[in-house]
Amino acid sequence: MVSLTSRIGVLGSLTLAIVLCWGIKTESQSGTDIPRTDHGAATMEYQQRLLDKLMPEVDATKVPEGFDPVIWDAFIPQNNEMTASRVALGRKLYFDKRLSEDGTVSCATCHDVTRGFTDQRPTSEGINGQIGRRNAPTTLNVALLQTLFLDGRSPSLDHQARLPIVNPIEMGFATGEESAAAIRNDEEYQRLFQEAYGRGVNYEDIGNAIGAFERTLVFLDSPFRRFLLGDDMAISADAKEGWRLFNEKARCTACHQMSLSNPLGTDNRFHNVGVSARHQDFESLAKQGVQALKEDPSEQKLEELALATDMSELGRFMSTTNRSDIGSFRTSMLLNVGITPPYMHDGTLPTLWDVMDHYNKGGEANPFLDGGMEPLALSEQEIDQLVAFLFALTDQRFAEENEGQMKAQKAAAAKSRAFRDDDMAFRQKLAFEDRISK
Amino acid sequence: MKPTYKSVETRYMEERKEFFDSLKKLDRRSFVKVSTAALGAVAASGLTPPFSFQPVNVSFRSEAASQANSFRFAYISDSHLYERDLNDRFVRSLMRAVDDVNNLDPQPDFVFYGGDLAQLGQPLELELGAQILKNLKAPLKIMVGEHDWYLDMGEKWKDLFGEPTYSWDHKGVHCVTLLSVVEKDFWTARGMSPMDRMKTVAGLDNSVQSPFTVGAPQREWLKNDLANYSDDTPLIVFSHSPLYKLYKAWNFWTDDAEQVQAILSRFKNVVVIHGHTHQMLTNRIGNIHFHGLLATAWPWPYAPEGMPPLTVEMSRPDPFNPQDGCGDGEVQVHTDGLVDKIYNFWNRNPLTVARAYTASWGQEAIPPKPNRPSY
Amino acid sequence: MSWKSKSALLAAGCAALVVLLWGISQQGLLTGSAQAAVQEQQGQALADAHLAQWKRKNPDRVADWVAEEKERHTVQPPADNSHLLKGGQGEGHTYGQYTERDILTWAREAEKLVVEGSRIFHDASAMGSAVAVSCDMCHPHAANTHPETYPKFQAQMGRVALLRDMINWCLENPVRGQRLPADDPTMRALEAYIYAQRKGVALNYGKH
Repeated sequence: MVSLTSRIGVLGSLTLAIVLCWGIKTESQSGTDIPRTDHGAATMEYQQRLLDKLMPEVDATKVPEGFDPVIWDAFIPQNNEMTASRVALGRKLYFDKRLSEDGTVSCATCHDVTRGFTDQRPTSEGINGQIGRRNAPTTLNVALLQTLFLDGRSPSLDHQARLPIVNPIEMGFATGEESAAAIRNDEEYQRLFQEAYGRGVNYEDIGNAIGAFERTLVFLDSPFRRFLLGDDMAISADAKEGWRLFNEKARCTACHQMSLSNPLGTDNRFHNVGVSARHQDFESLAKQGVQALKEDPSEQKLEELALATDMSELGRFMSTTNRSDIGSFRTSMLLNVGITPPYMHDGTLPTLWDVMDHYNKGGEANPFLDGGMEPLALSEQEIDQLVAFLFALTDQRFAEENEGQMKAQKAAAAKSRAFRDDDMAFRQKLAFEDRISK
Repeated sequence: MKPTYKSVETRYMEERKEFFDSLKKLDRRSFVKVSTAALGAVAASGLTPPFSFQPVNVSFRSEAASQANSFRFAYISDSHLYERDLNDRFVRSLMRAVDDVNNLDPQPDFVFYGGDLAQLGQPLELELGAQILKNLKAPLKIMVGEHDWYLDMGEKWKDLFGEPTYSWDHKGVHCVTLLSVVEKDFWTARGMSPMDRMKTVAGLDNSVQSPFTVGAPQREWLKNDLANYSDDTPLIVFSHSPLYKLYKAWNFWTDDAEQVQAILSRFKNVVVIHGHTHQMLTNRIGNIHFHGLLATAWPWPYAPEGMPPLTVEMSRPDPFNPQDGCGDGEVQVHTDGLVDKIYNFWNRNPLTVARAYTASWGQEAIPPKPNRPSY
Repeated sequence: MSWKSKSALLAAGCAALVVLLWGISQQGLLTGSAQAAVQEQQGQALADAHLAQWKRKNPDRVADWVAEEKERHTVQPPADNSHLLKGGQGEGHTYGQYTERDILTWAREAEKLVVEGSRIFHDASAMGSAVAVSCDMCHPHAANTHPETYPKFQAQMGRVALLRDMINWCLENPVRGQRLPADDPTMRALEAYIYAQRKGVALNYGKH
């Protein structure tokens, strides 16, 4: 005979257990129980709570830990020094969907705190479900990038932050002023803008503030960094071997330069590694690109072309019209690369093993291929070691997500390695050989 | 045997090949439609025809090539091939150059190969080179470099490519190809084997070898060959060594240059196109305009002395890109015989040394100077 | 056995013994000096054989290999120290009393390492190239190596590079050989040659 008290007790503890589990799960980073909203992004509230947990204290005025103060200083624009009010304003704007024409897209839609500060999609989705042509880079650690966008058409974070707002397939306002108008009536914003920049709500400061906020997104604390700083046990033996290969046989450092003073793993330069050349009409697009730019060389036209048309494949060429830039994109940063799949400017490489296959065979031959791309003759074991190293570049705060990615990518790679070409990798067949054979 | 995967790219290449094969089967009307559209786009873009469909950022335009009988040829030079099992990089670079030239639209009148096809003059190296060059769509004219010659004194070369010295006329221009890497015998007295001799010559800074010459027999041949041409016949001389004296220590030198130049002096306009130097190089001596060819294999640094004042040096190649400073190119020949020399650098913007530049002794159409040192 | 046969046997035995002893003595097994003489003879024969073999394998090192290499490839000479033979402060300062032989030795030894470097610099197999590429193919006379600009931060190496780091990078990449440890004789010779060829150029570390 079960007593009432014990029944209540059981029921109570059961309820408590359920509540606890629910509570823990929603606060975790596992993908299954995160509340999602427009365009697959986690809800803005959820993202902000998670961000609070990831970065509990942010002192905007201090040099983030791990950065050389002289170098850090050089990356803050003169007219946008870091203050707590600017960072707070920028953060509010980053998560604000009113900055999109239909109110469904904020920066955090495609640069989602729960998805590696990107969207983990090949290319991104904007208003009205329109799909763009470029993979969204992560906003983690963007402070040290010298140019923004994968084709480098933006010279600073502040400038870049403004452009998706007026892009017809991203956030969709016709002009920047319209976006400012959309939030001008909010008294909170009026106060924040005054405090931060001493003037009213305006489009230019929207970009400045978001830039200031993004500069605080410093997530450098990877196992690899701890290894560099002296903890020999921080990474596995495989990862250590991968690091050696990275610097030697695999030639990664030619473009993915990594050091304590440049922790990002990018040279900030633009290279054609052949990804764009996989698009069948790439070479005829080059011809069309010149024509379109002749008609209308404005910045907005450049924006539209870059994302809306196939000419996005021409990369940096769209900004510089230098022939040597055709099909060139900025070397991606490697920090936190484990949690930002899929890879390359068009998101066509789903796993890091596919990335290794691409480089192992020397990319894809095309008339503008970077001469530094060579077949590497890496064995399976060496590829695994390099991938182990790459997964060691993720900040400890994302360790769980990183583990999950590693397992998922490994499983996917075990099933299919679509970009692999052993003949090319081991120099049995050479780049350009197929193209010239009659 | 390693397991092979057919990657998406291989499948794409097969589809692409199928596509181009099917293009050939287009009936005339559709073909005209396709090519007119292409031509229209090129014309509208305001680019001059030599650059084909590849859009370029040129610092200035070369003069309109609308004069009758002016023509264009492409060039590839200095590939220094080893057998592909030994060194795949040099082979790949030559293939890239062939691909570049095959992509030119319209195709050039001919392709000129500037010498040093092989690295050590070995039969397999020369055969490999010949095989790769067979893939060129346009007709090939070829020239000897010292690396091709000194293993067997040209036996294999003549087998594959015929006589090293020859001439022909093309659209009113008389073209001559010389064997200008003739060296006085330095090997017999030292009891050198053929490979010893070849390796000595193959070392640019090896001072045991003799300076390059054209030599008396060839100078005689040249005089006779030119005898029936009037002084205002446009003349292009192809030579591996520069036909002037730049830097003896590296054999950037032709020892009987003055005598050769004397034979050419009566002509109004002479252009010398030379290999061997693996760099952007421009010179003018009297009526002779000298232009160097780019290599596909590797770039040379500039000589520490003796640089011709007309040369605008290219900036120092980046060692982290093994193809930087290399490439191929084209020569636009005008009716008066003077040329625009186009350097098609890989991973750099192409650069043109225009006819007006050498014609004006460097006063007009000055090529852009590099923003980085040339060392 | 009769007396006669016994003495005959004895005589034969003695003769055999004498012969044996004589034979042994030829081997020096008995007397110390004889032993030493044969050993020396054998040793000399072995040494001669080894030298002959080495000469066959290294024909161009039999003669003055330094002069031979210098004939093939111009090498900058080391500094002229003859001014150290002049002046009077040598009196009472034993360390300062340089002689001509000192000067000669310094020059000769410095030059030998540099010339050895030149030899390796021009020889793809000596530096272990898998693709038959030697340094002089891109750097005739070590041109364009600019050793006076090191140390410099080389982003692709992720650290400040010394000349030997760049040599190692070249060994691994265009030459496709093995990297060398810092005090490997080959590395030291290559460094010596590259520095020597840039004699007289002012140091300017960090210049890109």
